[in-house]
Amino acid sequence: MATINATVSVNSNDLTSNALSLSKTMTLTKAGSNVGLELTSGLVRRTFTSTNHVDLVTAGAQNYGTPTASKANKIYIKNTGSDSTQYFEVGLGTSSGSGTPTADSIGGTHLAIGRLYGGDWMLIPFDGSATTGDITVAPSTSEKMTIEYIIFFE
Amino acid sequence: MATTTASLSLTSSDLFADNLSISTSHQLNKAGTTIGLDQTTGLNRVYLTATTNVDIFTVPGATKDGKKSHVYIANLSTDETEYITVTIGDKVIGRLYAQDFLWMPWNQQAQHLSDLEIAPSVATGMNVEYMIIHEGIVLTTAADS
Repeated sequence: MATINATVSVNSNDLTSNALSLSKTMTLTKAGSNVGLELTSGLVRRTFTSTNHVDLVTAGAQNYGTPTASKANKIYIKNTGSDSTQYFEVGLGTSSGSGTPTADSIGGTHLAIGRLYGGDWMLIPFDGSATTGDITVAPSTSEKMTIEYIIFFE
Repeated sequence: MATTTASLSLTSSDLFADNLSISTSHQLNKAGTTIGLDQTTGLNRVYLTATTNVDIFTVPGATKDGKKSHVYIANLSTDETEYITVTIGDKVIGRLYAQDFLWMPWNQQAQHLSDLEIAPSVATGMNVEYMIIHEGIVLTTAADS
């Protein structure tokens, strides 16, 4: 087993009348146990030069292994850019493989989670089941944009 | 505007032969701008005693499609077998086991289909915390009967 720690900190002195200071640490463990996750995709870096809506991670077998669905898998994704107007729309479901983010079939085969603008990141559990589908991304521009992600899984 | 910063540290000394150390930080801004988000729900804490799937953040009517939101959810249980299943609409994002958290953007794209929902795995009681920092959410119209 391995010990992987993730700590999120959210701070603001002026969002509310009292300062916000939230900090939370988790150890990434296997489902229902205290045994640490020990498999990973490694840190993957991908560059996009079109607005095509594509799979970032598919459910099922990968070249680094097969994340077991509906466990305690986690995925970290970051838009490495610095442009505050350019974003990746991250979603769940099936990619169209082409077209634009607005071609999403809401409530059908794809549903947007949210947008990662330059420098934004997310850390979420990764269900990885066929019913949830893949994790998809759609860049907002055809200018060169880069995303990084890493999956920790069992 | 406000200045709010979200940071993440991901570390391990034994996952690889070399150390894993990912560190990132970003300022929470309104969509497409460098103007800070200035609204929040504050940190909510609930004690759930049923396995019912419940909305924690809903898109009740008109949407805020394209507006920026960041969501934090944490399962405060200390029993490693207990989890909450987090979904957006009918799509399962995944499970948060005891002491797990998530941090993610949220696009209020479609009425109810973009609702954020959680379902505890047990009915014996589980504390969950959640918060949104945002640039606008739709509040439910009051109903007195």
